[in-house]
Formats: sequence, C-alpha cells, structure tokens
Amino acid sequence: MSAQFIVIQLFNGLVLGCIYVLLSLGLSIIFGMLGIINFAHGAFYMLGAYTAYTIGSYISPNFWVAFIFTPFLMGIFGAACEVFLFRPLYKLPPLYIMLFTFGLMMVLQDAIRMIFGSMGVPYSTPDSFIGSVNLGFMQYPKYRFFLIIVTCLFSIAVWLFLSKTKLGAMIRASTDDSMMVDALGINISRIITIVFGLGIGLAGLAGVLAAPIQNVTHLMGMDYLIDCFVVVVIGGMGSIAGSIIGGLIVGEIIALGILVWPPIAHTLIYLFMAVFLLIRPRGLFGREAFHE
Amino acid sequence: MSSGMVLKKKKSFFGFLLLLLALFFPYIAPYTALASEILIFALFSMAYDLVLGYAGMLSFGHAAFFGLGAYATGIVLIRVYPSVPLGLLTGVVTSSIAALITGFLSIRRRGIYFTMVTLAFAQMFYFIAFKWTSFTGGDDGLQSVPRPAIGPLHITSEKVLYYFILSFVLVSLFLAIRVVNSPFGKVVQAIKENRNRAMSIGYNPERYKLGMFVISGFFSGLAGGLYALLLNFVPLSSLHWTTSGEVVVMTIVGGMGSLFGPIIGSMLIILLRDIISNFTQSWSFIMGLLFMGSVVGFRGGIIGVLKERLKFGD
Repeated sequence: MSAQFIVIQLFNGLVLGCIYVLLSLGLSIIFGMLGIINFAHGAFYMLGAYTAYTIGSYISPNFWVAFIFTPFLMGIFGAACEVFLFRPLYKLPPLYIMLFTFGLMMVLQDAIRMIFGSMGVPYSTPDSFIGSVNLGFMQYPKYRFFLIIVTCLFSIAVWLFLSKTKLGAMIRASTDDSMMVDALGINISRIITIVFGLGIGLAGLAGVLAAPIQNVTHLMGMDYLIDCFVVVVIGGMGSIAGSIIGGLIVGEIIALGILVWPPIAHTLIYLFMAVFLLIRPRGLFGREAFHE
Repeated sequence: MSSGMVLKKKKSFFGFLLLLLALFFPYIAPYTALASEILIFALFSMAYDLVLGYAGMLSFGHAAFFGLGAYATGIVLIRVYPSVPLGLLTGVVTSSIAALITGFLSIRRRGIYFTMVTLAFAQMFYFIAFKWTSFTGGDDGLQSVPRPAIGPLHITSEKVLYYFILSFVLVSLFLAIRVVNSPFGKVVQAIKENRNRAMSIGYNPERYKLGMFVISGFFSGLAGGLYALLLNFVPLSSLHWTTSGEVVVMTIVGGMGSLFGPIIGSMLIILLRDIISNFTQSWSFIMGLLFMGSVVGFRGGIIGVLKERLKFGD
C-alpha cells in the first residue's frame, strides 16, 4: 500500500468528517437547547440536497445559487417547523418530542419519494470545480477541497457566533438554564427558533455540499444520522468543539477502516464508541450531568 | 361491591376478550400470516415495554435483539440442524447474551445518552449482518429458512404456525406479568420512580436495570426467532434502526407500562399499515403523520384512553 494512497484516503476521511461536522453541529445545538435528539435531522439534510437539485434544475444551473440559497431556505423551513410544529410540544417529556421527530422524518422522506421517485436524482459536480488540484505528490478533486474549506469557514463562523456575539451568549445561557434566561426578560422562544433555524440551515448546507459526491435519494440521511449520534457521543453532547473533533475522528476512522478491510469500516466506529464510553463516559468535551 | 373489585372484573373481562380475539384471529384477519405477524410484534413490543414502561429506559436499539434472534434461529435451522426448538433456543440465548453485553455498557449512561448508545450498538450488528454476506446473506437477507416439523406438529401450515406462535406469546405474557409483579419487578419500578431513594435503601440500580434489559432482550429474541419462521427468511431490515423506532411507536401508541397496551398498539399499527398499503404506496407518509398526531392527541396511548373512558385504575 503506497503512502500516496493512504494520504488520499486521509483526505477522503476529512471530507466525510466535514459532512459529519456540519450535521452534528446542528444536532448538538438543538439538543443543547431542548434536550431532544432530532431524528428528522437526517431528513432535513436530505431535503437540503433536494432543494439544491430543485434550484439547480428549475431556477438556475449555477451551483452558487443553490449553494447560497439552500442553507437559507432550509434555515427558514427549520424555523417554521419549530414555530408551527414543535412549539406546542415543549411541555411534554422529551420522549414524545423525539417520537414526533421520528414521525416527521417518515413524512419528509416519503413526501420526497412521492415527488421525485425512489430512484434518487442525478447531481453532477459543479462546472467550476471539475478537475483536480495537483499537490505535487498527488492529485485531489477540486470540489472536495472546496467542501473542506467551506466546512472550516462555517465551523469557525458558528464558533465565533456562539462565543463572541451577544445573541450567541444568550443561546449559550439558555442552554445552561433556560428558566433563568427567561426570567431575565430575554425572549426564550425566539432564541429557540433561531437555534432551530441555525441547526437546520447547517443540515441544509451539508445537504447541498454532499449532493455532488453522494447518491441523492430520499433515504440518504438515514444512516448518516446514526453516524452523527456516534459523533456527538464521542465529542460530548451540546459541545461545539466536540462535534467538530468528533466528526473528524469518525470520518477518519471510516476512511482508514476502508483501507484496512472495507467490510469492517462502519462497524469500527461503533466499536470505537463502545471503547470510548468505557474510558470516558461523557465524551471528549461533554459536561457533567448535562440533560441527563 | 368495592370499586377495586369492579376494576379487577373489568380488567379480566378485557383480558378475556383479548384472548378470545387471539384464538379466533386467523379467521377474522385478512390473512393468517398477518395475524401471526401481529402476534410477533405484540410479543416484541411487550418485551420492549418491560424496558421502557417499567424500567424507564428509552432504548432505541431493540432491533438488535429482535434481529439477532431471527438471524441466529435462521442460521441454526439452515446450517446446523433443522430443529425448531434448537433454533429458537439459540436465538433466545444469542439475544440475551447480546443484551447482557450491550446493556452492561450502555446502562453506564442515562437519559438521552443511553438512547443513543443502544442505537449505535444496534447499528453495529446491522453493519455486521450487512457486510458479512457469506454468513448472513447481506443485503438480500437470510434466504430460505426451513420450517421443519416438531414431532407431530407440522408448522408448514400457516394456521398451525399461528397457534404455535400464540402459545409462545401467551406463555411469555404470563411470564412478563410475573416478572413485573415480582419483588424484582417492583424494585425496577421503584428505581424508575426515584433512583436515589432506591439506592439509599441499598439497591444497586444498574444491576436491576441490566436484569430487566436482559429479560427484555430474551423475549425480543424469541419474537425474532418466530419472525424468521413466519417469513421463511430473515430480512436485513429486522436489524435496522427503523425497526427499533417502530417498536417504540407501537409501545407508545398502545400505552406504555401496561404490557397489554403494546399488544393493542402493535395490532393497530400493523393492521393499519396493511390496510393503507393496499390503497397507496405512501403508507409511510400516513404512518408518520399518525405518529406525529398520536403525540399531540393521546399521550397515554390507547390504554390511557380506555382507562379514562372506563374508569380503569393502573
């Protein structure tokens, strides 16, 4: 096995990890806010890819149009879902809200199947990213570089937004103690809406980014969702850094697993998670007794 | 007559009705295999209720025990020896061991973390079955599981198989009721109600929860083994996390913490799915709406509605 092949596979792991990072960030901040796992998150990711496809085929074939508008549209859709669907449910135990997201997942996936069929839709690499970059010792597709850079930028932006802005501070405070934040006169339900919009918008971004390198089908989000659960368990629930580092770790484990013996690649991350739980039950950056 | 006695009479009356329905179900249901499938999922969701309703643990990985039971039973019947008792026993033992190991690891975490860990373990088994094609059949599932005769009992007939399954379900239900009402079951419920108090009395919550988890895995494995017999094959989807999701839904729609609720829930959901899928391909859309609606509409489940209407106690 040549060193070049290993490096390429490391890059592939990084690309996969980037998708995990974007999805887990959304999953994790929504969890931090509400204490629920959003089972529909994978479906929102899938919806992002289909939104990009729809924009690409009916509005403008220019990739940038889809790239810019998809996360926005998904963010608005996510916020609307929060206002109209989730808000009436907050008084219920988390179990029921999770069941609700499970139902929502089925509805979204089947709706897309009804509209676009069960075979999926074709999505080709955008024209401006065809070809590869020569790194001297190897060639690597341009588009994948673009994906890595975009993820880096957005991860930094989310981190800056949450740690440096006033709104970010409000979100972090609500995650810690939403009653207290409410008592201080901050409109907590608006903050929840923003968090939902942000999380689903990131899922939409992951969807449009993944569309050219994945099979776009109505079930594309299902198994990604579970992989993201592994990411947040390893990284620690509700932690931004945990989602980023956990996502990259999981992506690399799968990529290197494929290098060693393809059938074991996916099993490996679950094994890794089991070992991790034994050594460090709260994950890398998880806090003590957070939503337990 | 005291209200307690009225209650008990009403309860046993409904239990009797359910039993009567079960006895004649193959003659009422659209087809016998559907009746058998309902029984199997009734058993599976009842097993699940032991964990969710009585121990308060939201496992999202019960497909692992169901699927492992099915695969182990099928593999023994195909490759080792065509004996149904041996197959089912292997299935049940495999699932129980899997429940013991994964339970031991996942019970270390509580709440949502527990949910995700069980889910991830179940995915691990799913991927093993998916990738280990030579052993499990991979994506195609485990094909042509035989139904050898058990002594004079020829379960190749769908009706005979139904009553064969029914006997298992009835015995399991009886055992589950015994477990729930045993001192062990009471401790588990006490831990669910107030963990700290149970601990301060001197019970080890993790050990009791693990016990209930393994019992639940045992019955789930039995349901899986019977499923392999019913279908004559084991679909890969039996291990998929959506199967775990379905059993959660059946249990909650029926009403958790009642054992009978999940039975009614699985009956309703499987019947509905069968009926809806006759009309439209988009049954999953309608079922999804139904799940969302059931969260908003009746959270106590069907049993909860019955209790309210008929003034049942717990």
